[in-house]
Amino acid sequence: MTDAATTPEMIPERIPLTPVGDPSAGVCVGAFCAIPDDQEQAIVSHRLDEDLV
Amino acid sequence: MTDKSASPIKVDIWSDVQCPWCYIGKRKFEAGAAAYGGAVEVEYHSFELAPDTPVDFDGSPVDYLSQRKGMPVEQVTRMLTNVTGIAASVGLDFDYDHVHQTNTVKAHELIHFAKAQGRQLDMKERLLKAYFVDGRHVGRIEDLADLAAEIGLDRKEVVRVLTDETYLAEVKADVAQAASYGIQGVPFFVIEGTYGVSGAQDATSFANVLEQARSEREAIK
Repeated sequence: MTDAATTPEMIPERIPLTPVGDPSAGVCVGAFCAIPDDQEQAIVSHRLDEDLV
Repeated sequence: MTDKSASPIKVDIWSDVQCPWCYIGKRKFEAGAAAYGGAVEVEYHSFELAPDTPVDFDGSPVDYLSQRKGMPVEQVTRMLTNVTGIAASVGLDFDYDHVHQTNTVKAHELIHFAKAQGRQLDMKERLLKAYFVDGRHVGRIEDLADLAAEIGLDRKEVVRVLTDETYLAEVKADVAQAASYGIQGVPFFVIEGTYGVSGAQDATSFANVLEQARSEREAIK
């Protein structure tokens, strides 16, 4: 029989990775997908070029 | 002289089906891999961004995000418009007016089934296109079976494995592995089990890290 109070919690072992690339690249966390500032500005500039704004 | 045709660089990608950056990032990664020019082996892994979403969410993505994040409808609408613009820049024609917000666990099970049939990449692409471009439902078993049949998988077999949750354990194992890597958002690319690349990077970044992985492999030979 196992004593619940002494059962170790299952915490996954962290596997180290070397991060590379632009840390501000577009990513979805939870239900939310943020747009990096530089890309948002690029969209606005594109629309200005096409007279859409 | 280096040999890029030797054993492929392994890339594990954590991704969700209703994640716009995952589809955009997929295109950017594909461009980066093409620029790299060597052999690359890709394996997709499951990541559920919103596992508590009902299969038949009653509302649009704008409704969903504004309710979930408490964001004003105008802000969500602008955000989706901007994402649509970025998608267009990589050749993807997002149609948020017809997107069906849903739960993606069955879609992930289907991707694992497709992997067992050697068709994972085709299934992943079909599901992303179905959700973002075609306005198809990617949460219900019957709809998923239709999509699987469209790429040549056995429709009846798909219905059976999704009903029986045959591949649910594989989905949960992927989610657990993501936690072990400390992955909190997607897309997330693990190159040769060593480098972690978060988000929809530029193609050049992907090409560079693939080249870096290859040169390091060469150096230890």
